[in-house]
Amino acid sequence: MVGAGRLTLTIPMPSADYASEADLLAACRRRDLRAFERLYQAHSSRLKSVAFHILGHRQDAEDAVQETFLKLYRAVDGFQGQSGIGTWLCRILINVCYDLARKRKREADPEDYGLESRPAPPRELALKVALDAALRRVHPKHRMVFLLFEVEGMRHSEIASILEIPEGTSKAWLFEAKKELKRMLTERRS
Amino acid sequence: MIFQCGDLDRALEHPELMPDARAHAETCARCREQLYLWAEISRVAPRLHQEWESPYLWTRIRADLEAAAPPRRAPVWRWAIAAAAVVLLAGALLRPWRATTHDFLTEEAFEQVQQAESAYAKSIDNLTRIAGPGLERSPAPLASAYREKLLVLDSEIAELKAAADRNRYNTYLQTELASLYREKQKTLQDWLEHAKRNSPSSN
Repeated sequence: MVGAGRLTLTIPMPSADYASEADLLAACRRRDLRAFERLYQAHSSRLKSVAFHILGHRQDAEDAVQETFLKLYRAVDGFQGQSGIGTWLCRILINVCYDLARKRKREADPEDYGLESRPAPPRELALKVALDAALRRVHPKHRMVFLLFEVEGMRHSEIASILEIPEGTSKAWLFEAKKELKRMLTERRS
Repeated sequence: MIFQCGDLDRALEHPELMPDARAHAETCARCREQLYLWAEISRVAPRLHQEWESPYLWTRIRADLEAAAPPRRAPVWRWAIAAAAVVLLAGALLRPWRATTHDFLTEEAFEQVQQAESAYAKSIDNLTRIAGPGLERSPAPLASAYREKLLVLDSEIAELKAAADRNRYNTYLQTELASLYREKQKTLQDWLEHAKRNSPSSN
C-alpha cells in the first residue's frame, strides 16, 4: 500500500537540544550554527539524494545542498512557518538544483550514478537499473513527484507544499509517472 | 462488471476497481504482468535513494554560514554609554568657550563684581555727601549744569542697575554700569576741584 509508513519532514528532530521545531527555528533565526547543524543532520541525506536525481552528479548534489543551507541562513527571518523547515529546505533545494542544472547543463554520466553496493538479486538489480533509466525519461514534474513520494518517502501534503501544487495534483502526477514508467518498462521487456 | 484489458489503467487509478482487475489478471498474462510491474515500481523505487558519505560537506557549509554572518551589533546599553560620554566630553570642552564668548559671568565672578560695585557706589555716595551741599547751594550756571548732569547719570545708573539685576551674569551691563559710576565720580571730582579753585580760601 503506497503511503504507508511515510516519513515526515517535520518533527521529531534527531536531538533533544530543541524541544520542538519552533525552538529549532528560533535558534536558526538567532543564527545559532548548532541549530543549522541539527537541520543538516536531519535532512542532508534526503536532500543529497533528491539533488542527485535532479543533477546526476554527487559533487553537484553536494554543491546544491551547500547552497541550500546558505540560502536558508540568509532567508530564515522571512520564513513564516506555514510548512515544516524540512519541507521548506526541500523547496529551496529543488530551486537551487534547477538553477545549477541550467548553469551547467551537463549530461549525466552513468558512472556517477554510484549504484549501491549492497547485494541484490540480479533480477531486482536489473529492474532497479531499468527503473532508474526510465525515470530520467519521465516528464520532469511527474518525475519529481515520483521521486519525492516513492523514492524519498514524503507525503502528498508535503510534496504539495514543496512544489506549491494542490495535493490532488500531486496524486495525479504520481499516477502519471507510474503509468509512464510501466509503459517504458513493458516496452523494454517486450 | 465485465473487466477487460483496457480497464486496467482505470483500475490502477481507482483502488475500488482493483479486485476486479486482480480477478481478470488470473486469466490474462498480459494484465498480470502489468499489475506485477505496477507493484514492483513502488517496491523498488525506495532503492533509488542515493546514500553516500560526505565527511567535509558540513565543514564547507559551516564555513559558508560563518562568512555570511551579519556583523555583530553592540548592545543598546553600550550605545547609551558612548552617547553619554560624548555629551560629557562636549560639555567639558565647551564650558570655557561659553564663558568667554557669551559674556556671561560665573557665580564667583559675579559676586566679585557685586562687591566691587557696592564698594564703588559707597565711595561715590561719600563723594556726593562732600560735594552735594556746595553744589546744591551754588547759583552759578556751571553748578546748574553739574546738577543736571548728575541727575541724568543717576537716572541712567538706576535704569541700568535694574536691568543688570534682571540679567545678573551679563558682563556688558556690569561694564556699562561701572562706566556710569566712573562718569559720576569724575563729575563730582570735577565739581569739587572747580569749587576748590573758586573758593576764597584758595586765593
